[in-house]
Amino acid sequence: MQQQQPQPQPSPKPKKKIRVPRVVNGVEQMVEIEVDEDTGPGWGPNDKHTLLNHKITRVDGPKKVTGMALYTYDMRLPGMLYGRILRCPHGHARVTKLDTEAASKLPGVKAIIQGPLTELRFAGAPVAAVAATTPEIAGDALRAIKVTYEVLPHVVHATDAIRPDAPKVVAEENNLQEKAKNGDLQKAETAFATADAIVEGEYFSQRVHHACLETHGMVVDYRGGDSASIYASTQGTFTIPGDAAKELGLEQSKVIASVEHMGGGFGSKFGIGIEGMFACRLSKQTKSPVKLMLTRYDEFVMAGNRSGSWQKLKAGVKNDGTIVALTARQYRLGGIGQGSQAGQPYIYRMGDTYREVYALHTNEDSSIAMRAPGHPQASFAIESLVDELAYKIKMDPVAFRKKNLRDEVYHRQLDRGAKEIGWSRRNPVAGGNPGPLKRGMGCAVGTWGGGGNNQCKVDVTILQDGAVYVAVGTQDLGTGTRTYTRAIVAEELGIGMNDVEEHIGNSKLGAANPSGGSTTAPSLSPSVKDAAIKARMMMAERVAPLLGNPKPEEVVFSGGNVSANGRSITWKQAAAALPAAGITSHGVWRADLQARGVHGVSFAEVEVDIETGFIRPIKMVHIQDGGLPLNRLTMESQINGGMIQSLGMAFYEGRVMDAQLGMQLNPGFGDYKLPGSLEMPEMVPIIDDDDKREAVIGIAEGCIIPPLGALVNAVFNATGLRIRDLPITPDKILMGLMNTTVISRG
Amino acid sequence: MKAFEWTSPATINEAVKMLTVASPGDIDEAPRPIAGGQDLLTTMKDYTSRPVRLVNLKNIRGLNRITLNAKQLNIGALVTLTELEEHAGVRKSFPGLAEAAHSIATPQIRNLGTVGGNLCQRPRCWYFRLEEVICLKKGGSECYAATGENKYNAIFGGGPSYIVHPSDLAPMLLALGATVTVIGSGGKRVIPLDKFFTLPSEGDIRRENVLKNEDIITEIHVPVSPLAARSTYLKFKERESLDFALASAAVAVQLAPNQTVKDARIVLGGVAPVPWRVPAAEKFLTGKNLTASVLAEVGKIALADAKPLDKNAYKVPLTQTLVRRALAKAGSV
Repeated sequence: MQQQQPQPQPSPKPKKKIRVPRVVNGVEQMVEIEVDEDTGPGWGPNDKHTLLNHKITRVDGPKKVTGMALYTYDMRLPGMLYGRILRCPHGHARVTKLDTEAASKLPGVKAIIQGPLTELRFAGAPVAAVAATTPEIAGDALRAIKVTYEVLPHVVHATDAIRPDAPKVVAEENNLQEKAKNGDLQKAETAFATADAIVEGEYFSQRVHHACLETHGMVVDYRGGDSASIYASTQGTFTIPGDAAKELGLEQSKVIASVEHMGGGFGSKFGIGIEGMFACRLSKQTKSPVKLMLTRYDEFVMAGNRSGSWQKLKAGVKNDGTIVALTARQYRLGGIGQGSQAGQPYIYRMGDTYREVYALHTNEDSSIAMRAPGHPQASFAIESLVDELAYKIKMDPVAFRKKNLRDEVYHRQLDRGAKEIGWSRRNPVAGGNPGPLKRGMGCAVGTWGGGGNNQCKVDVTILQDGAVYVAVGTQDLGTGTRTYTRAIVAEELGIGMNDVEEHIGNSKLGAANPSGGSTTAPSLSPSVKDAAIKARMMMAERVAPLLGNPKPEEVVFSGGNVSANGRSITWKQAAAALPAAGITSHGVWRADLQARGVHGVSFAEVEVDIETGFIRPIKMVHIQDGGLPLNRLTMESQINGGMIQSLGMAFYEGRVMDAQLGMQLNPGFGDYKLPGSLEMPEMVPIIDDDDKREAVIGIAEGCIIPPLGALVNAVFNATGLRIRDLPITPDKILMGLMNTTVISRG
Repeated sequence: MKAFEWTSPATINEAVKMLTVASPGDIDEAPRPIAGGQDLLTTMKDYTSRPVRLVNLKNIRGLNRITLNAKQLNIGALVTLTELEEHAGVRKSFPGLAEAAHSIATPQIRNLGTVGGNLCQRPRCWYFRLEEVICLKKGGSECYAATGENKYNAIFGGGPSYIVHPSDLAPMLLALGATVTVIGSGGKRVIPLDKFFTLPSEGDIRRENVLKNEDIITEIHVPVSPLAARSTYLKFKERESLDFALASAAVAVQLAPNQTVKDARIVLGGVAPVPWRVPAAEKFLTGKNLTASVLAEVGKIALADAKPLDKNAYKVPLTQTLVRRALAKAGSV
């Protein structure tokens, strides 16, 4: 018997373990994964790119401005029905009877289904849904449904909910739930005794809304067969088919999700949601396509919001600027949900610290992830407190921050921002400028992760006629995914933006991660780059005979030409050497092409009319590091967007709840005041090019954190009035000035 | 939006008839005239109004003209806010009126919204605007704003309802002594604007003015006067891009040759269920120079009788500032 020789095994590629973020419902969690240690070519120096790190106009821009881009909201299918949701008008209730007889008899009404909730814990909770031939008939049908409610006691304001005798949001459970205790209270108390000054404050941040221009919803195209197509306004193409298949009773593989264009998510659109559940069930029952997009009213009261916060902070500081201790009592105000709030002292070193974190429940729609969940809230409070400490010991707020932040990047960014805003013009005496129109400046700092994970699978196809396709199922939320996906491939192959076509937003294409936690660019771009490099090498091998047989890595792809050994052919000539079916490469994620960890510093200048309380934002500056900027135009847009949303939270926006009725009073764009064009200050988005990391990092969230603190602190510098309750509106300024006999001045 | 019948009559009399026949009577369900539709349509979309019929006024001739002679400015009810704001004669002889028109909403809304419609806007109170809330003004038994979230509500003339009137034209037109021509089932009548708006404690609690369901405003008349030539409108918005007044001041002054005040009108907006004239403040100014101390004093007098609710005391210092600044501006022109 012949002895079998052991077959020579290819030695396994060396692996290493790294930690990456994974996003669940918009909130990132760190997990450990194994990746190859052997890496391919990198991005190269940030200043050597031909397309990336330049200003590239959005490839879908013309379609969007001409109205040719089709959103889920625009879908209109033959035989399509319109779904509408009936909401509970009480802060807390049970449905004892649902009489649909009259509603179902209305001409055009095709289906009425009851919702899954037995106890409705907030006004706006979905009770039932209707499908009808027009949205108007569906609206009339909702009003023809007779619901009998057992109305239960409710509580909607946190300061009421914390009382021991408050109505319970969940029976038998306290509204106040302890979540964490960290640090050593005794040590902190001892350290307070060594402080030269102490500041104590109570900070409230309001619940704001995502205010996506396209509301939540989907179109379910199911007609009774074995498969379905779904058009969804979602942040995750691949978060749709599984849940939808369950509701439709189909195989997951038979449900295709499509997200061609979508109108904003900001963390609020993962999975099918309750509106998607209704849409699927209505479609299944009627065997007809159903479009169910939330109305704007629905969107406000049942599609989530940013967690509110209530924070009681106390800190001690020495005259040299050293913060010695902090104690914090933090309430997360997430309605019926858990809420979110980063732990204090957030990014500062504050000596001996102690914190207690609670969830404090109210009868309100659950908060959900919103752009940097929990961070603007914590940042607003700590940046206000840090500012107060600085004024208390008469130290410049910029110098004070440098003193308490070790990271050199913050120092660099603070200096840059101070120069850009003109910090030297600032009156160090808060409220010290003459006249009723008082100007002031403030600053704040922030941080975010922004690393990627290994979920994206990208195909690059080059055809014999020179056409190039890049395909991946990812979604473009308006964040420019399409544009950089195309740009990476075009740059790698040395061709123009218009020579590449991207296919995205479809679950039939390669896998991609949901867009949350600023993970899209650092997850997707390495896979696109990997696929593009592989396509280039495959093509180089094919064209080598035409160029004197160079090694593939010696072939240069540049300016629409393919060259080596002093010979050059055009892109089209090179493509002609490909096989009839063209070539397709397959890209996977590479950890070395991305990184994690950004800073970010904001400055703001405002003018406050102390006789009317009117705040005029004058100028905002935000400096953001982010490794390799894939597209400078997009990155600046992201920074501007972060500044604008912060402006809204600082001065204009906020959910108003009525204690007696338990309802939101401003569920529309009339009374929920988003900042408009006339509120915009001069905005200066600065990309920190001193960050030389040759890696892609997500920055969308980093730039919404510190602008809020900068604005709030600017109001103090202007007026000498410290308002710790957002939003800072004229009534609060006027009442504050009327009630403050001694204005704290630096 | 509830289904409704659409009619498009060619004459006013036909329109009045269409507003009268088969009317359910209830203001929220009765037939309604529609011009620009900028307020009406929002209430219909929210189901807070459910008119069985809309009577389109835009096919009726002669309602969209501005005419100005030596004595009087006549503004057709269908004149758009943009047309009013841009009219050269209005800008010259009634600057406060042009300013008031310009302060309204957005350019898009001003292009469609009409002068008549502006005077007939329903309240912005969020309790009133929510379909689910049946407040006093919708036939319920309670004004939720009285003890609830009343930041935007009345500091004058409130009770039992605490709405504020949302019109920006109304305070200015009232300050300028305007009258309105109304045609209804009983024919034509001319109503001085100071008799047009009704307090909740005086008139029908479901309405904000003396109009009946079948009444149509056809024209607004404003006398040419030295007061009008020295008029101004100062509106305070929390959000400049698009907002209603938290408070506003419509003022008009006539100065004697020695620069003392011969005559003055001060009407406040955004602070009461009707445009709120402050005669005591007007009287105080007579014979005085508009000095800083006089201006400070007149602001205090204008707000002396204010009765703020829990969350709107800020309107007192705010409105004082507006009165002072508006008079300073009108006096210096």
